[in-house]
Amino acid sequence: MTRSRITTALVALSATAVLAAGCGDDKDTGGGSEGGSATAEVKSGGTFTAYYTSFPDYMDPALSYTQEGWTALWTVYTPLLTYKHAEGAEGATLVPGLAEAMPEISDDGLTYKLKLRSGLKYSDGSAVKANDFEHSIKRVLNLESGGSAFYSVIEGAEKYQSDGKEDADISGITADDATGDITIKLAKKDGSFNFYLAMNFAGLVKGDTPFTNTTDKPAVGVGPFKLEGVQPGRGFKLVKNENFTPLPDTPEAKADQIDVTVAKNARRQAQDVIANKVDFLQDPPPADQLRELRTSYTDRYKEYVTNSTYYYFLNVDVPPFDDVKVRQAVAYAVDERALARVFGGLLAPSCNFLPPGMAGFEKVDPCPWGDPNAAPDIEKAKALIKEAGAEGESVTVFGNDEDPSTPVAEYMSDLLNQIGLTAKPRIVEGSTYFQTIGNQKTKAQIGFANWFQDYPAPSNFLFLVDGASIQPTNNQNFGNVNDPEINSLIKTANENPDIEAAAADYAAVDRKLVENPYVLPYGNRKLTKITSERVAFDGLLWHPVYAADLTTLGLK
Amino acid sequence: MASAKATAGVAPAGATPAGAAAVAPAATPMRAAARAVRRSKTAMVSVGVLLFIIAASFAAPLWADHVAQTGPFTNHLTDTVQIDGEAVNVVSLDGVPIGPTYQGRYFLGADGNGRDLMVRLLYGGRNSLFIALVSMTFCLFVGAVLGTIAGFFRGWPDAIISRALDVLWATPVILLGIALGVATALGGLNLGFVKIAGDSLWLPALIIGVVQIVYVARPIRSSVLSLRERPFVEAARAQGFGSIRIMRREILPNIVTALLVLGPIVVAQTVAYEAALSFLGAGVQRPNPSWGTLIADGTDVLTSAPHLTIVPGLVLAATVLSLNLIGDVVREALDPRGLVTSGDGPGR
Repeated sequence: MTRSRITTALVALSATAVLAAGCGDDKDTGGGSEGGSATAEVKSGGTFTAYYTSFPDYMDPALSYTQEGWTALWTVYTPLLTYKHAEGAEGATLVPGLAEAMPEISDDGLTYKLKLRSGLKYSDGSAVKANDFEHSIKRVLNLESGGSAFYSVIEGAEKYQSDGKEDADISGITADDATGDITIKLAKKDGSFNFYLAMNFAGLVKGDTPFTNTTDKPAVGVGPFKLEGVQPGRGFKLVKNENFTPLPDTPEAKADQIDVTVAKNARRQAQDVIANKVDFLQDPPPADQLRELRTSYTDRYKEYVTNSTYYYFLNVDVPPFDDVKVRQAVAYAVDERALARVFGGLLAPSCNFLPPGMAGFEKVDPCPWGDPNAAPDIEKAKALIKEAGAEGESVTVFGNDEDPSTPVAEYMSDLLNQIGLTAKPRIVEGSTYFQTIGNQKTKAQIGFANWFQDYPAPSNFLFLVDGASIQPTNNQNFGNVNDPEINSLIKTANENPDIEAAAADYAAVDRKLVENPYVLPYGNRKLTKITSERVAFDGLLWHPVYAADLTTLGLK
Repeated sequence: MASAKATAGVAPAGATPAGAAAVAPAATPMRAAARAVRRSKTAMVSVGVLLFIIAASFAAPLWADHVAQTGPFTNHLTDTVQIDGEAVNVVSLDGVPIGPTYQGRYFLGADGNGRDLMVRLLYGGRNSLFIALVSMTFCLFVGAVLGTIAGFFRGWPDAIISRALDVLWATPVILLGIALGVATALGGLNLGFVKIAGDSLWLPALIIGVVQIVYVARPIRSSVLSLRERPFVEAARAQGFGSIRIMRREILPNIVTALLVLGPIVVAQTVAYEAALSFLGAGVQRPNPSWGTLIADGTDVLTSAPHLTIVPGLVLAATVLSLNLIGDVVREALDPRGLVTSGDGPGR
């Protein structure tokens, strides 16, 4: 599977308020919600303003693969399956979207049967047809979207893509407009396929939507909002869709309209929302304004732990990290408390690779390398380096020039020098960083890495450490982790469509990753919700996959 | 005639380049410049400021080892420091570094990784000044050679060099510096016989030197174009001296004045360019400190930790201002009509 690597500002992330299990530290800052739907009273109507730091990559559901795009497009293009509009674990629950019910899956796990709800209308009033689903998937494949890899598991999808003919058929998808029946056949078992059906990429568009990027003239969809006034690079409007009939788990929008403007300056964004000149910020405020927000605006500022993992990769194919003792030494030496400060407090220290709130997450407790919230054991680390005979070995610590990667790499470089290695950081330009360290010729020894979920399942994280995903270029398994036992557990778990049943296998993988240690996870990123005074703050939900749920943005 | 320039290093009246007529015939340009600086209070204060900054920068290891007791790369993210008997976090839990303590440790505060700002400022000064010195030397040397060849030989050497300089002249300096800096930051520079690592200070020094050559080469070419027609050069030719010897013994001593005028201005610009490129990530590579990288480090916490930006900014401004003020005095003494720095020169 190849897809865009996710970085803080630009790439697809799905943020979440996470289960209390992993969020003890959040209480001070109003962190993780226990989950659940909005209970606060939210009035309908009104026009709101919002700032984005960057314009979405695309305003086309088939193409968009950024947080900015996903947050907005989820409210415009509903897929056959979707997520509950709720916070925490409840929000990560798959529910029928435009489909009447969850799919019937054949015993062999290869056939998915769904039925389109009747009476559905696009925002222009035209009827939704079952065959529109195939057209929507064709667009993803034909446009070579970053999300196309998710759907290549459908029978005939790879052939459709390689033939390059727009009107050709995807043999694995059959649909009947009269009955609304949709049948999808997979080429191989994939336990995460339901999640793929719920991704924005599979949001339905009309059958005549062109096979081009529709950002300038957005396609119509089925959702609480419709897109208007799109000015690439500058902003867009989400206008309430009067043709939308609320679905059981997708309510209508509270706001009449949300005007989104791109404002590059994060400091200005924060000042404007504090001064009530704008109602909502998509991105966190700058670090030096966090303290003021945390202390003076507790009624309209909150932090949420996301389903993300921040870690150092250790290349097990390259000295000195091919020696387990050296890896252990680094694990003993890392101080998660220090890294939390590098993140301005927007990091929840963790010892696990899987984020809390994810199926298969079992807190590794006690952490074999010391409590993440306590001082590290530098002396033990030095002893292990000496024992491994690695004293003075040269190490290059890779990082990119985007915050917080640079200070994270510099911290590690200093740490390695402290424990007896000879390290220096190498900071690579952000847009080429992951390609650089993902190229085997680079022989990157250790460096910064992170991942935000595309969908709330462990498979979306564990491919990063799956031996089967190692490639010569564009490798996402930066440390070349290739443990047969781990590979086998991942394969078995991924084929199981019942994620809860596979949770034990996922947890076992997580523990083995930490214990060996093949990677050095140090925490989960927090993101922020901040609004103006007139917004019903508690009513604005923080969704685990799509961050702010803009359908719940409303007046007090 | 040849002996006239050889004895004093200054061309006879009317032969000086760029109208350096204000120089007393008996004084070398160097002495004249020094005398002018000594007579100017502004210049003397500038020299004092500059010497202080240079001395402080060279004393960086002493401050680091004996006063701050930490190195320029050492992180102190979870450390505390005693202030008025209380333990204070070097970096707060929300990531805000400590401000100036005006005591040995963290005299000017810390950066986001808990590194002592004073230590990094002093080491950064060493790096910035090293780059400035190397760049200036490279730029003056190469610029003088190219300008002399172009002006002396004219013809096709002049055409090639002048067009190359035109291209350089037409390219925005900062953009060219960024392009070169980014291109070489990861893999370094490998020209076969010259290999420089991506994080070496030599790399930004050479890049800045290259982009500034035009500011030296063009005025030198103009001076040489004038010099080559002077009687003492014609006399040397008449005696059968070769071109190399004429350039070395007749031309070169007469462009020293121009180089002395250009030197302080070029070095001031070099310091500023280094800061700009490093600020943009295309100069000194992290974690090496320089005044530019230190300013960049502070921009994210401008409100809560303004010292991170202000202190290196002030030192940078003081250095550039001092160099410019000294340069002005030297220029007024050696080039009162502004011929060297007019049009083609860096003072435009």
